[in-house]
Amino acid sequence: MSKQIKIYTNPGCPYCKMAKEFLLKKGVEFIDYDVKNDKDAREEMKKISGGALRVPVISVCNEVMVGFDRGRLEQALSCLEQSSKIE
Amino acid sequence: MAKVIIYSTDGCPFCAKAKSFLTEKGISYDGIEVQSGSSVWEEMKKKTGSGSLPQILIGDEPVGGYSDLVNLEAGGELSQKLGLAEEGKGVPLYDVIIIGGGPAGLSAAVYAARKILKTLVVSKDIGGQVAWTYDVDNYLGFSQVDTADLIAKFEDHVEKYGVEKLVGAEVKALELTGKLKKVTTVDGDSYLSKTLIIATGKRPRPLNVPGEKELTGRGVTYCSTCDAALFEGFDVAVMGGGNSALESVFDLMKVSPKIYMVSLTSVTGDEILQDKVMSSPKVEIFTEYKILRIEGESSVEGIEIESLKTGKTKKLSVQGIIVEIGLLPNSELVMDIVETNRTGEIIVDSRCHTGVSGVFACGDVTNVPYKQIIVAAGEGAKAALSAYDYIIKQR
Ligand SMILES: Cc1cc2nc3c(=O)[nH]c(=O)nc-3n(C[C@H](O)[C@H](O)[C@H](O)COP(=O)(O)OP(=O)(O)OC[C@H]3O[C@@H](n4cnc5c(N)ncnc54)[C@H](O)[C@@H]3O)c2cc1C
Repeated sequence: MSKQIKIYTNPGCPYCKMAKEFLLKKGVEFIDYDVKNDKDAREEMKKISGGALRVPVISVCNEVMVGFDRGRLEQALSCLEQSSKIE
Repeated sequence: MAKVIIYSTDGCPFCAKAKSFLTEKGISYDGIEVQSGSSVWEEMKKKTGSGSLPQILIGDEPVGGYSDLVNLEAGGELSQKLGLAEEGKGVPLYDVIIIGGGPAGLSAAVYAARKILKTLVVSKDIGGQVAWTYDVDNYLGFSQVDTADLIAKFEDHVEKYGVEKLVGAEVKALELTGKLKKVTTVDGDSYLSKTLIIATGKRPRPLNVPGEKELTGRGVTYCSTCDAALFEGFDVAVMGGGNSALESVFDLMKVSPKIYMVSLTSVTGDEILQDKVMSSPKVEIFTEYKILRIEGESSVEGIEIESLKTGKTKKLSVQGIIVEIGLLPNSELVMDIVETNRTGEIIVDSRCHTGVSGVFACGDVTNVPYKQIIVAAGEGAKAALSAYDYIIKQR
């Protein structure tokens, strides 16, 4: 299971910025892909999300979320603690 | 409710503050006048372990003075100590519950917290419609501000007062007839409050055609600012004929080979923008057309439209659809209980009262004209102050 968080964003999208700030506040590391300017990232985003044309797409552990839903993202982040406990 | 005793004396400002705090909260108390060195004072010292005034007892437990009282309330422990939580069978009790985390709801939260009302904000998200646009040029104090930054400032301001927030929660039911108002979320959690502020704002009006729900996020979008950039290289249909639709078409002219504008009526809105859009060879406009369906398996592949004049139908091959046909007020929760106007907006008076006692509404969900952030914030402040007045008058 990959613990790396990936977030696919459009620089002009306020929800994307809010999602990134939320992750920063939580103190978790993530890789940010700019799907407006990076076509490969856009294709990857569509692939992992089953064809989403909506940003942000966030992948945490085994979960891929389309859109910024704070409650869901917070819940998804709990996998990071669990996996580090197991190790 | 546990018995509250307050030892005080004339001319002591914190005694007066503690008493008016209790009165504002609707907590009845026995006041005992104390002169320093008297036998009552000795008794108080024995019970509370302190000789300073005021001293407050809840049941048999000494809780300290005025600032201790305020801290208890801020920490949510006061109602527990009073036994109020048990009376509501474990359902938390608030002075005010605010539904909605847009500018109206967050401004109400700041005002409520500053009146030391026990406040809960329940909202699906923070920011509301403000997050649907990239920047704002007309909010006082900011000649231009990135909306994500503005929303963060709003939220920080609310956090400064330690307001409880339930973000990501959708309210599904309200019981408003009793003295205590009950709020229930989709997850089945319930909360009680003396007053309720509805600040649920607006949402995009959907097309209500087959295929729309299934393909939302898969080519259908209501947030052009967010998602239009993903439509690069796609042929796109923009639904609507107003300013927002024109702006979307204009933005797409940079990235899309072909843009169809489909509107039930003739195109309205900014004439300069209309000229720019209409003179582009990429843009084809269908006025007095309605959409029948959206087609596509896993993503949008096309739409079918029908002419209102001739009844003739037409298929357009598009991979993206931007819906800009206006907004609907989120008033369904209270539709049967409070009065609404023709468009579904909650009718309020100049103090944000709805017709139901203890229930207030503010911002875009109401009939107050000019839907703007600064207006919504102002109305939110008014709703909180009105809720405060209501609580005081209940005594
Ligand atoms: C594209 C666009 C651009 C705009 N540009 C500007 C501008 O430049 N300047 C300006 O001043 N104004 C602008 N506005 C208008 C401004 O955004 C609104 O007037 C303002 O956001 C209204 O605030 P509100 O708090 O009343 O409602 P909203 O912002 O709509 O917030 C409502 C909140 O309630 C929540 N909610 C709704 N139902 C429920 C429920 N059942 N349970 C829990 N939570 C719920 C929502 O999630 C949301 O958080 C713009 C609007 C749009 C759409």
